[in-house]
Amino acid sequence: MSGFWARNRLALMGAGLLGAILLAVLAGPFFTTSPIAIDIANKLAPPSAAHWLGTDFFGRDVLARVLHGGRATLAIGIGVVALAFVLGVAFGTVAGFAGGATDMVMMRLVDAMLAFPGLVLAIALAAAFGPSLENAMLAVAITLAPQFARVARSQALAISVKPYMEAAMAIGVGTPRLLLRYVLRNGIGPLLVQASLALGGAILQTASLGFLGLGAQPPAAEWGADVAGNLAYLRDAPWVALAPGIAILLVVLSFNLIGDALADWFNPRRRAA
Amino acid sequence: MGGYALRRLAALLPVLFLVLVIIFHLTRFIPGDPAVTLLGPGATDVQIAALRAQLRLDEPMGMQFLSYLGGLLRGDLGVSLKTGAPVAREILLRLPATIELSVLALLVAIVVGLPLGVVSAIRANTAFDHAVRLVSLLGVSMPAFLLALVLQLVFGIALGWLPISGRTSPFFLDDPVTGFAVIDGLINGDAEAAWDAFLHLLLPTTVLAAFLAATLGRFVRNTMLETMGEDYIRTARAKGLPERAVFFVHALRNSLLPAVTVVGLKFAEMLGGAILTETVFAWPGIGRFMFDAIRNRDYPVIQGATLVFALMFMLVSLAVDLIQALLDPRIRKRMAS
Repeated sequence: MSGFWARNRLALMGAGLLGAILLAVLAGPFFTTSPIAIDIANKLAPPSAAHWLGTDFFGRDVLARVLHGGRATLAIGIGVVALAFVLGVAFGTVAGFAGGATDMVMMRLVDAMLAFPGLVLAIALAAAFGPSLENAMLAVAITLAPQFARVARSQALAISVKPYMEAAMAIGVGTPRLLLRYVLRNGIGPLLVQASLALGGAILQTASLGFLGLGAQPPAAEWGADVAGNLAYLRDAPWVALAPGIAILLVVLSFNLIGDALADWFNPRRRAA
Repeated sequence: MGGYALRRLAALLPVLFLVLVIIFHLTRFIPGDPAVTLLGPGATDVQIAALRAQLRLDEPMGMQFLSYLGGLLRGDLGVSLKTGAPVAREILLRLPATIELSVLALLVAIVVGLPLGVVSAIRANTAFDHAVRLVSLLGVSMPAFLLALVLQLVFGIALGWLPISGRTSPFFLDDPVTGFAVIDGLINGDAEAAWDAFLHLLLPTTVLAAFLAATLGRFVRNTMLETMGEDYIRTARAKGLPERAVFFVHALRNSLLPAVTVVGLKFAEMLGGAILTETVFAWPGIGRFMFDAIRNRDYPVIQGATLVFALMFMLVSLAVDLIQALLDPRIRKRMAS
C-alpha cells in the first residue's frame, strides 16, 4: 500500500482533509460555546473574533453548530452504511447460498427496490416512518441495502461451489456456521470496499433528507437541516446557511477522493494506464 | 430486436408488481392509525371515519390492494387530501416543468461532460487531467442545495442578473399550449415571455447539469483509460494506425457505449433527484409537488409521485438497454443466438 499514497496525490489530499475534519469535529466542540446557547441580542452577527463563522437568527454560534453537527453527520454516515451493510449482506448471502426459487424471489425484491431512484425511495420511506433522525437513517439504509445485497449474493454464489464448501458440508458443519465462517468470511473483501465507497453518498442523502425536513429535528445541530433552517436569512447573513453546506461538501469530497483512488487501486487495468 | 424488446418488457412485469406492492404499503408504515395521524390533533371522529373510508382502511388488506390496482388501470392515482383534486391530473399538469428542466440539463451535461472526460483521458496524469478530476469530484460531492444557494447568492442577489425562483415572472403567464414555458412563449409570438422563461431555466438547469456532467466526465475518462489497455488497441497501434485514429475511432467509440448506460440511468435518477433543485428554486414540477405533499402529509400525492418517478426510471432503464443493443453488435449477436 505504500506505493498507493505516492501515486495518488488526490487520495492524499482526501486523507488530509478527512483527518483535519475529524480532528476539528472531535476536538473542536471542547473549545466552542454550546451549539444551542441562545443570545438574541447578538443575532445574525457576521464572522468576528468571538464568533469565527458568525451567529444565526437566535444568536447561536455557527461554528459551534457546524462542529457539533459534524459529529452527528459523521456518526450518521457510518451508522447508515453499517445498517445497510448488515441488512444487505444478510439478505444477499442467504439468497446466493440458498439458490433456486428462494434466490429468484429474493432477488426480484432487490430489483424492485433498485427500480426506484435512490433519493425518491428514501424520501417516501422517511415520510411514511415520520420525520426524525432515526427514521431518516433507516430510510437511507434500506435504500442502500440492495446494492450490498447484490454484491453479497454474487460472492455467495461463487463461494458456495468451492471445494472447501463441499468439504465443510461433508463433515457436517451447520448452516449458520457455514454462512458466517465460510461464505461471509471469504467474500467480505469487496463488500468492505463497497462500504467505504458508499459513505459519501450516505452522508449526502441523509443531509438531503435533513434539508427537506425529514431528518434531525430542531434544535439539534445537523448540517442538512441547518442549511434549510437558515435559507430565509440568505440575503442578509449568507454565512449561516453556507457554513454547514460547505461542511457537507468537504466531508463528502474527502470520502470520494479516497474512495476514488481505492477503486483505481483495486482495478489493475486502470492502474496500468 | 422486437423479440428482445418484448422479452425485456415481460421481465419488467414482476418487478413492476413488486414496486406497486412497496408503494401501496407506504401508507401502512405510518405509525398508528394513518387517518388519525394524517388529520392531526384537532380532528373529529366524523372526519376520521370519513378519511378511513376514503383511504379504504376499513377493508381487508387484499381488497385494498386490489382496488388500488384497479384504480391504477383506470389511471386513477387517488385524490389529494389537501386540494381534493385527482392526483393523476395534478401530476400531469406539472410534468412538463420537470421534463423541460431535466432534458435541458441532460443536453448541457453531455456538451460539457463528454469533451472534458475525453480530453482528460488523452492527457491522463497531466495538470489538466488532475484539474478536471478534482472539479468533477467536487461536482459529485456537492449537495444540490448548496450549489443552488451559491448560484442564487452570486447571480441572483449579488449581481442581480438572473431570477432565483419560479418558472416565469408573474406578468408573463401565457396561455399554456404545450406546457413548456419557452416553447409556449414562442408559439404565442411573445419573444419577451420566451426569454423570461429561458432566464428562469438557467440556474436550476446548471445545478442539475453540474452533477450529471461531473458523473459523465469521470466515467468517460475512466472507461477510455481502461479501453486503451485492450488488446485491440495494441493491434490497431501495431498495424501502424496514427495515434489520433486509434483514439477517436477505436477507443472513443468503444468507451461511448457504456457511457450511454450511465447517462441514461443518471438522467432517470435526475427526474427524481430534481426534488431538491425544484424545491430550492420553487420550480413548479413534480419534485416540488412531492415536497409540498411531504410537508402536508398528503399521502396519495406522495404515493402517486413515487410511482411516476419509479415508472419513468424503469422505462428509461429499458430504453437504455435497447439503445445499447442497437449500438453494440456483440449484444445483438448474443440476442440472436
